Amino acid sequence: MVVQLHQFAAAIYLIAGLVAGLSLAVPAPRLGRVAVGLLAAGLVCHGLAFGLLHSAAPPPLTDMAAAVSFMAWVGGLFFLILLLRMRLAGLVVLVAPMAFLGVFFAALRLPFAGESSVGGSGSWPHAHVLLSSAGLALLGVACLAGLLFLIEHRRLKSKRPLRRPLPLPSLEALDRVNAAALAVGFPLLTVGVVTGMMWVQAVTGHFWSGTPHETWSAVAWAVYAVLAAARFARHQGARQAALSAVGGFAFLLFAVIGVEILV
Amino acid sequence: MKIVLVGMSHRSAPLEVRERLAQEDPAPALQKLVACAEIDEAVLLSTCNRVEVVALTRNLEAARHRLRSFFRRDLAADEGLSRDVAEHLYVHTGAEAMRHVMRVASALDSMVIGEPQILGQTKDAYRTAVECGACGPILGRLFQHAFATAKRVRSETRVAERPVSVARVAVDLARQIFEDFGNKRALLIGAGEMIETALAALRGAGLESICVANRTPERAAELAARFGATAHGLDELAALLPGADMVLTSIGGDRPILTPELVSRALHERRNRPIFVIDIAVPRNADPEIDRLDNVYLYDIDDLGAVASQNAEQRRRETIRAEAIVVEQQQRFDGWFAALRAVPTIRHLRARAEAIREREVERALARADAGGMARDAVEALSRSIVNKLLHAPVSRLRREAEREEGMAYLEAARVLFDLDEDAEAPGDDSADGPDGE
Repeated sequence: MVVQLHQFAAAIYLIAGLVAGLSLAVPAPRLGRVAVGLLAAGLVCHGLAFGLLHSAAPPPLTDMAAAVSFMAWVGGLFFLILLLRMRLAGLVVLVAPMAFLGVFFAALRLPFAGESSVGGSGSWPHAHVLLSSAGLALLGVACLAGLLFLIEHRRLKSKRPLRRPLPLPSLEALDRVNAAALAVGFPLLTVGVVTGMMWVQAVTGHFWSGTPHETWSAVAWAVYAVLAAARFARHQGARQAALSAVGGFAFLLFAVIGVEILV
Repeated sequence: MKIVLVGMSHRSAPLEVRERLAQEDPAPALQKLVACAEIDEAVLLSTCNRVEVVALTRNLEAARHRLRSFFRRDLAADEGLSRDVAEHLYVHTGAEAMRHVMRVASALDSMVIGEPQILGQTKDAYRTAVECGACGPILGRLFQHAFATAKRVRSETRVAERPVSVARVAVDLARQIFEDFGNKRALLIGAGEMIETALAALRGAGLESICVANRTPERAAELAARFGATAHGLDELAALLPGADMVLTSIGGDRPILTPELVSRALHERRNRPIFVIDIAVPRNADPEIDRLDNVYLYDIDDLGAVASQNAEQRRRETIRAEAIVVEQQQRFDGWFAALRAVPTIRHLRARAEAIREREVERALARADAGGMARDAVEALSRSIVNKLLHAPVSRLRREAEREEGMAYLEAARVLFDLDEDAEAPGDDSADGPDGE
């Protein structure tokens, strides 16, 4: 059932992306609304699949594919919530294919391996992966918004604002998405780091074991702490905030995934 | 008589050059121009997108030369600009010049095709020329035709149905920067027609908080009262700028009023929230350097034009219809103008015929008084009149018929005297008379 729901969600995301693309090519605003509806349906289906997976014993979230699938779901859900407040419908053409890739990757790996390597540490691993993945997903959304902001900013500065293949949201909307994603994503990442330390403590008896993953994650968190402070306390300009979101997320990916691969 | 037009527009010259030629009061320059012997009539049109002179002359080459030097020496203030001006000038003569005037008045040559302001600006230019005695009956007629053309273009095509004004383009651009206008504030600097149009467009787009700042606060107050905005003097600019998300400026003056220092300070005060500056003034009100500031998006009149031209393709079909109207109107005027050229010739011809008639009547009466028969006298009179009238044209026809190119004269004679109706008539023989006399 979990496998079928994952596949079904992947199919809906894919169709949503295609319909969104068609709505821009024609152009047809009604098709755009259909694409948003399909994305919402895909998220419901994806959520159900994830709920069923979550109820499995032991919860297999420490698997990379499951984490990616979860991140895609969190990112998609966050986008859908923002869509209620801002003119972001044009971005379904980007968000739906990304959600598709996330869930498709997970569907290929099903059934997951589970968390056999960290047995006996209670619910800390589960909480750590859940919160960190959610934080990572939202900081990824901030990065995407930052990237689109920089593209749109460049286009406006070069006085060619109408020559754009994709109707990007306004700079203000992209900046708000960036700020909201950072405002929610950074606390989630913080709690994720703390639960990670609790997990380590449950396994080794110490909060800090000095592994490369721990060290780089702590550095990445510190980088984000500085970026968040600059953003919210020092009233950083929107372009600098966008650059920070892109640079910060690149560093975070390196710290969380790159270091794992390299080490 | 020839019509000649010399000028530069957004199509031929960058804003840096145009803004230094713009004339707030064209009357003195115009009076100086018509004082020249080569120029009989002239109209000077100076807007933010073009500076053009239309003139009527009897010596085309001399007038062309005079108008070029008028731009280089009288309108351009310094040597460097004078060189730039020469590079960017265009010259239209005859039908091309007539068509250009009509296209300009109909907003077909505008940066934003179909925009409504240019017709008013052309009417103002015409009125100024009439008031300072530079525009006479012929250019007057041309401009009346141009206004009629503009009226037809507006009523018979859809070029101006959804007018894409500069203000509208500015609002579209603002939507790419700001998510909603409800909580935004616009600061409009100036109180002219452009600002009024922008005010209406911004209100229509849902912007509620608008301030109008002007050198003459009374004019700002009058405009602000009509649109529910607040009025301020220009001295309040530094205080108003930090609160403004959008600044639209169109006010006269040689120096920029929005300097990098002023805008940086405002940005700092507004905690780096972006400012969209639309500068539709010529000369520019905003120092181009402010575009280097990170959270400032500056669009001048040329930038807005470039944006508007991206929409041009959509309006192409309507523009083709409008161009057809322009050609039709130009041909009508050209017909009138050509007929005007024949007037002195016709008058001369009539005078000569009248002189012949009077002389021959005198001779006939003298002959009758001397005791000649009345019939013989009348016969001799009529023959003499016919011979004298036809002498010059027939002699010329004989001479020209010997040359290959002279056939045109024969053709013209057949048309003028309507001889094709009576091709076989023995009229040719009678032509021998005067020649033989």
